Amino acid sequence: MTKEVIIRFDHVTKRYDNDAVVLDHVSFEIERGKFYTLLGPSGCGKTTILRLIAGFTEASEGDIYFNGKRMNNVPANKRQVNTVFQDYALFPHLNVYENVAFGLRIKKVKNSEIDRRVKEALRFVNLSGYEKREITEMSGGQRQRVAIARAIVNEPEVILLDEPLSALDLKLRTEMQYELRDLQKRLGITFIFVTHDQEEALAMSDEIFVLNQGKIQQSGTPTDIYDEPINRFVADFIGESNIVPGKMIRDFEVEFAGKVFECVDQGLNQNESVDIVIRPEDLEITSWNEGKIQVKVDSQLFRGVHYEMICYDEAQNEWLVHSTKKATVGEKIGLNFEPEAIHVMRLGETEEEFDKRLESYQEAGYEQ
Amino acid sequence: MNNKARWFYLLPYVLWIGLFVITPILLVVYYSFFDLHGNFTLANYEKLFTFVYMKMIASSFWYAFLITAFCLIIAYPAAYFITKTKYKQLLLLLVILPSWINLLLKAYAFLGIFSTDGAANNFLEAVGIGAQQILFTDFSFVFVSVYIFIPFMLLPIFNALDKLNPALIDASRDLGASAWTTFRKVVFPLTLSGVKSGVQAVFIPALSLFMITRLIAGNRVITLGTAIEQHFLVTQDWGMGSAIAVFLIITMVVIMIVTGTRKRGVQ
Ligand SMILES: Nc1ncnc2c1ncn2[C@@H]1O[C@H](COP(=O)(O)OP(=O)(O)OP(=O)(O)O)[C@@H](O)[C@H]1O
Ligand SMILES: [Mg+2]
Repeated sequence: MTKEVIIRFDHVTKRYDNDAVVLDHVSFEIERGKFYTLLGPSGCGKTTILRLIAGFTEASEGDIYFNGKRMNNVPANKRQVNTVFQDYALFPHLNVYENVAFGLRIKKVKNSEIDRRVKEALRFVNLSGYEKREITEMSGGQRQRVAIARAIVNEPEVILLDEPLSALDLKLRTEMQYELRDLQKRLGITFIFVTHDQEEALAMSDEIFVLNQGKIQQSGTPTDIYDEPINRFVADFIGESNIVPGKMIRDFEVEFAGKVFECVDQGLNQNESVDIVIRPEDLEITSWNEGKIQVKVDSQLFRGVHYEMICYDEAQNEWLVHSTKKATVGEKIGLNFEPEAIHVMRLGETEEEFDKRLESYQEAGYEQ
Repeated sequence: MNNKARWFYLLPYVLWIGLFVITPILLVVYYSFFDLHGNFTLANYEKLFTFVYMKMIASSFWYAFLITAFCLIIAYPAAYFITKTKYKQLLLLLVILPSWINLLLKAYAFLGIFSTDGAANNFLEAVGIGAQQILFTDFSFVFVSVYIFIPFMLLPIFNALDKLNPALIDASRDLGASAWTTFRKVVFPLTLSGVKSGVQAVFIPALSLFMITRLIAGNRVITLGTAIEQHFLVTQDWGMGSAIAVFLIITMVVIMIVTGTRKRGVQ
């Protein structure tokens, strides 16, 4: 597949009225036809990035390119972008049909064509038959779907979706996730999707940007980010994880929880302090003697697919375990894991240094 | 118990409406059916449809329309501008402030400004146009009325614009609409209720103006308001004055119904 950059941010900084920076020298590239997700905690700047792309607000510093052309001063109505707003922003004086038809009417599309496309878009979001309804007569989830229909009906080059599924129940939400992903592939539209929900991000994206406090912490495919989080923040935000302090003794040997373990990491300084991440599902429960770490079960919850246990080792490190096997609260058990399950994170490593280090492992023959 | 409490709260309202709204209207309707000598008659209403009164009605409507139109043309952009600034509460206060000053005082102030050797004429002379007769013209009447009514037009429009969700403007631009199309298709329809309230608050009182008309326009402008005043205070023809008042009341009710905001979609 040829790589075609459609949107590029070059050291974009955003500040509101000389307050603290909301976005801090953000740079990234968006390729045509891919599904991107911006993931991060509330207030980290996700909506701000979308507003900059759509043209509702201007960058304080830096450049935004669209198909190679600088876009900073192009007004919103001249950009090939449509947005699904976080608060829907549906027009209260128009009914469902006219809301969806709004963009097509502006473009002076023929009435018969409008009718066909509006009905198709409403069918897509499971709202056939709601054409004549007023917006005030729709539920939150229905409004959200009208907002999705209003954006996709225009078939723009890029669609920005600001938490478009947040008001839907689990079943409808999963259904819409599949359908949006399917639509995106079918039409080849570039999606930039904002969500709080890391599972949604992992399931849908070609690429994820993890943001915190106006900075991109890490970008990569869902598996990259899940398996090799760059720092504590990413590890914690993407999926549940056990993060404990450790020390790199030498290549392929790391010490944590008072013991030395075999691992797959190399190229760090001897005796360097590091953070260790082990995913709860990579921990396997065995008997006290057979485990690599010895812990006491503190509490246990049945989560449907698995049991979730919180255990403490002798150094009082907390260990979260996902297991299909059941344990007893208060029982002393052992935990086992593979060397590959240990992820070593250097403290304060930048994304470039991190990527370089991962590449060097692959050259050394550790295919992951 | 509950019912008694409700009556207790309702009492002041009922008393007020009964004494100051219902009774006067009934009295006005009653008087309108009597002639100068106290005989029952329908002649007052017949007279309303004669040429003289028809002309007066038309001229009243025309001036009220002019005043309302100028107020709207000035107040809408002004309200829009005020909502866009940082100091909107302060600016709004400055616009409303003059409406706290007594109407009569303002009218007298304009008498001074517009008089033969007042500020307005001094200015015109300085510019080289020369002094004009400004007072006692229909221009000065409309001008002063617009000045006095602008706050009543501006306030409801300001409120409607201020309530407008700015994301809707973003959404409209996002869907390809220019600034003008956005105004036409989103901003104006959504602030129409404010415009309607403003029109009501200006047009209806403007129909029955008489004090400003007397002071500023002299005999140049004769409206229904001045006619009622004449009948009650000069010719003492209370019957005819009441008939005109009844006509005005009916007109006002009709205007209220026509410009009234009906909630769409909500039963
Ligand atoms: N108009 C504004 N004026 C001042 N500060 C603003 C404005 N809009 C947003 N901010 C600030 O910018 C920061 C980022 O906001 P943004 O809306 O991008 O967050 P977000 O990541 O979308 O959060 P959420 O997940 O809660 O929607 C926040 O701290 C917010 O307070
Ligand atoms: Mg947001």
